[in-house]
Amino acid sequence: MGEQVTFAIAAIGAVGFGIGIVFFKDAFRAAVSLIGTLLSVALLFIVLMAPFVAALQVIVYAGAIVVLFLFVIAYLGVRDEAPGRDRLDAMQAVGWIALLGIAAFGVIAVLGSTIGPGVPAPTNTDVGSPAAIGHAFLSDHIIAFEGTSLILLVAAVGAVILAKRAVQLEGGR
Amino acid sequence: MTVPMSAYLVLSIVLLGLGMLGVMRRRNPLLLLLSIELMLNAGNILLIGFSRQWDDPAGQIFALVVMVVAAAEVVIGLGLVVAVFRSRMNLDVDEMSSMKG
Repeated sequence: MGEQVTFAIAAIGAVGFGIGIVFFKDAFRAAVSLIGTLLSVALLFIVLMAPFVAALQVIVYAGAIVVLFLFVIAYLGVRDEAPGRDRLDAMQAVGWIALLGIAAFGVIAVLGSTIGPGVPAPTNTDVGSPAAIGHAFLSDHIIAFEGTSLILLVAAVGAVILAKRAVQLEGGR
Repeated sequence: MTVPMSAYLVLSIVLLGLGMLGVMRRRNPLLLLLSIELMLNAGNILLIGFSRQWDDPAGQIFALVVMVVAAAEVVIGLGLVVAVFRSRMNLDVDEMSSMKG
């Protein structure tokens, strides 16, 4: 019962704040709605017995990534979207077809799936602990682990190069 | 697991659709990146849900890797946004059709 109530709260929060991300005109408000969605999703992770991923979701996503967004929004200032019509207006119908197609496919897949309440829930709740995740990362998924460090290195170097180019364009060093 | 897996599937589809809608109708690259984060989170819900369903930590590993990729993507994306803003002073993805620096 408690699990269902928590799921309902988190799901409503995630979808509600998600609608805010898509429909708020103001970039700042959209970024703050993203925090709401991320916290709701972290709550879902706790319901799914993944406390370590939930903690990282709050620390890395809501803590670091959204703050980066807010810094850039504050740096660029509040500005409205450029006036004028969308150059891709003619393609809008194709986009809607794709969206509705994915939705229809998802409904069919969910209705036709055999994974549901009929499958017995596993009783081992240790899969979400930091120890289990660390063990899995360093034994079976060591290449993914090294890959993530490489991705972060490339991202950091790329950010520095982009920022340096931007400063050079303005005549700085 | 008293909440059926199909509930998580439906929630994930809804969030993915919202993110797609955002990518389609937004023209500010910052808001495009926010919508992409929404879609990545929809995927993460599924990965964690299936990890719970089959009692296997691999799904959580995937979710963590997705988080790292999202962080890297945001860093590069925001770097590009700032660079474009400094050289063009205009934020509209439709205007950014040239690769020239």
